[in-house]
Amino acid sequence: MSEPMAPAYAGDVAGRAAAIEAKKAWRDHVSGAAGRAPALRVGLAASFTADTLVPFIGAALLTADTVAEFKVGPYNQLFQTCLDPQASFGGPCDVIVLLWRVEDLMLDEITGFLSGDAEALSRARAKLASLAAAIRQLRGGFPGMVVVGVPPYPTGGAASLLSLDNAGGLGGFHRTLAGEFVDEIGRIEGVSVVDLDAVQRQAGFAASFDPRKWYLYRQPFSDAFLHTAGRQLGRIIMASRRAAKKCVVLDADNTLWGGIVGEDGIDGIQIGDEFPGSAYRDFHKLLLSWRARGVLLAVASKNNEADVWEVFDRHSGMVLRREHLSAWQINWQPKAEGIPLIARALNIGTDSLVFIDDNPMEVAYMRDALPEVTSILLPSEPADIVSTLQALTLFDQLEVTDEDRKRADMMRAERDREVLGAQINHTDFLQALDLRIDLFNARTEDLGRITQLINKTNQFNLTTIRRTLDEVRELAGSSDFRLYGLRVTDKFGEYGLTGVIIARISTDRRRWTLDTLLLSCRVLGRGVETALIGALADDARAVGAVEFAASFIPTAKNALSASFLPDQGFSRVGEQEWHLDLSEAPAIPPHIERAVAEGVTGRGFAAEAFETRLSAVAGQ
Amino acid sequence: MTARVAKVFSEVLGVSAEQISDETSPDNTPQWDSMAAMTLVVAIEDEFDVTLSTAEIISMRNVEIVRKVLRTKGVADA
Repeated sequence: MSEPMAPAYAGDVAGRAAAIEAKKAWRDHVSGAAGRAPALRVGLAASFTADTLVPFIGAALLTADTVAEFKVGPYNQLFQTCLDPQASFGGPCDVIVLLWRVEDLMLDEITGFLSGDAEALSRARAKLASLAAAIRQLRGGFPGMVVVGVPPYPTGGAASLLSLDNAGGLGGFHRTLAGEFVDEIGRIEGVSVVDLDAVQRQAGFAASFDPRKWYLYRQPFSDAFLHTAGRQLGRIIMASRRAAKKCVVLDADNTLWGGIVGEDGIDGIQIGDEFPGSAYRDFHKLLLSWRARGVLLAVASKNNEADVWEVFDRHSGMVLRREHLSAWQINWQPKAEGIPLIARALNIGTDSLVFIDDNPMEVAYMRDALPEVTSILLPSEPADIVSTLQALTLFDQLEVTDEDRKRADMMRAERDREVLGAQINHTDFLQALDLRIDLFNARTEDLGRITQLINKTNQFNLTTIRRTLDEVRELAGSSDFRLYGLRVTDKFGEYGLTGVIIARISTDRRRWTLDTLLLSCRVLGRGVETALIGALADDARAVGAVEFAASFIPTAKNALSASFLPDQGFSRVGEQEWHLDLSEAPAIPPHIERAVAEGVTGRGFAAEAFETRLSAVAGQ
Repeated sequence: MTARVAKVFSEVLGVSAEQISDETSPDNTPQWDSMAAMTLVVAIEDEFDVTLSTAEIISMRNVEIVRKVLRTKGVADA
């Protein structure tokens, strides 16, 4: 004979651990709370023993930095509580929560209904109407918040999985009563609803009921149910107390679509019917549902503006369109500078903004530079994007007005297009970044990544010369060239190999010609470009060079790098040719440190040593 | 008295672990009310990863009995 299965109310491992955690948080709070005045007094009354729900609501509110105190009214006296809440709770409350179960209030009616008593349902409806009337009376005389529960599906007795779906049986009875109750409550202004029927579905029907506790204590629910219900109640209560966020600012590449439009092109990005494009498209639909509730949408992207608009305006897979956006900052400035401009354009505070980006560095920067903005890292698994963001409570508000629904459109119409001159003082920010660049002679193991960068980098690329791996390898072994890789790190982490320079050295060794200079857009700004030229000039001078020659060859994509040469002090000597005397080369900015890599002097190293290493690796 | 048992009772009842003994019961511990009894059941199940039957729950009238029940369920350090 096989062992009986563990009862469902024992819960699954992860859910149980989370419930234990919540209870511990509440216990720790209660034992240490002597001096902390509660911000909120919650009265809880139910048709069952509700005391065990308290730790879960309390813990949920604690995670929102709200200390609550609870008073639990006598069990199964909902009507009395509605008529005289002061007496039931032994004092005043800020929030009253009323929860009930169909089987507690209407057990006779259920039994009658299931045995064919034609009048049973109308008797249940009459009880329902009197409960609604009591709630209406409570609402009329109580100034605080009122939350009432939609009853969960009945458990025990006649309930079974078969009956769950039975329109003429218990399923139909519960559906009718729960639906009518929601309608009744909807007609009372200012009453919030916690849907315990949905909570039960979320926790699992079988896992929600603990018959032992029901028989012993008149407390029917498992911790799995109570934990979910507590979190939901915490969310509803907080929504009435905290201003909802007003605007979500979105990154574009790898956030609104898969891929990078500047690199992959409009045909190369993923957005549409096929996964992973479908996951991003569903994210668009979620964003539009927020917009319909009054949340403004904005974009902050490091990109060529035209590339982003091409996707919005032309890509057939896009659900989100340009007209849905209320503001945008699409340029190469740090996002911490663009976001306050978005807030100003929309006439809201930066503390009303939520920033969503797939890049951990951008999120870390934003949290550092603008801690009042809620910055959220988009899940790297596209399939998890919608489910993760749906759980956000930031935009929760209890009542959505017509004005909310129209806000996004109104803001869009009034969008202030003036150029805002306000800039943040960025010096302190830069100093705190601990920026380091490592400009190093490329090693064999780097050549694959370097070739990849040479062939895919479009935007910050002076010459856009493409090369095969064999060509790169040959060039790396030649004494007429220097092949450099660039790594950038800062206090948030490492950006990896993100830049390449190929310098051709003249026969007299006095002139270095920048055959290739490219950077990944991730590392642009913050002085990195200047540090790059400063470091290269150090190396060149150390081996006797006196000048750099460079060219800028414009393409459809590389407008971003057009000003690089003049910005670094190069002067124009021809249609596309530029020149820099190394005595006038910029120094590495003081907030950036040049790393000295292992085995490399940092001032260049002998070509023969490099060749020896190359051939040693090649011979393996 | 093992530390784990003392810890569960002391946390739920809000008394120090030293005050917990085999004789601790609802009769000599006012904190052990019906609400605490309900919380204790879940806390014991959480701590020792067991599921208690109603018969066991009803029998648990003092700490010594709780420890005996746990040992019959294979908990070594109860």
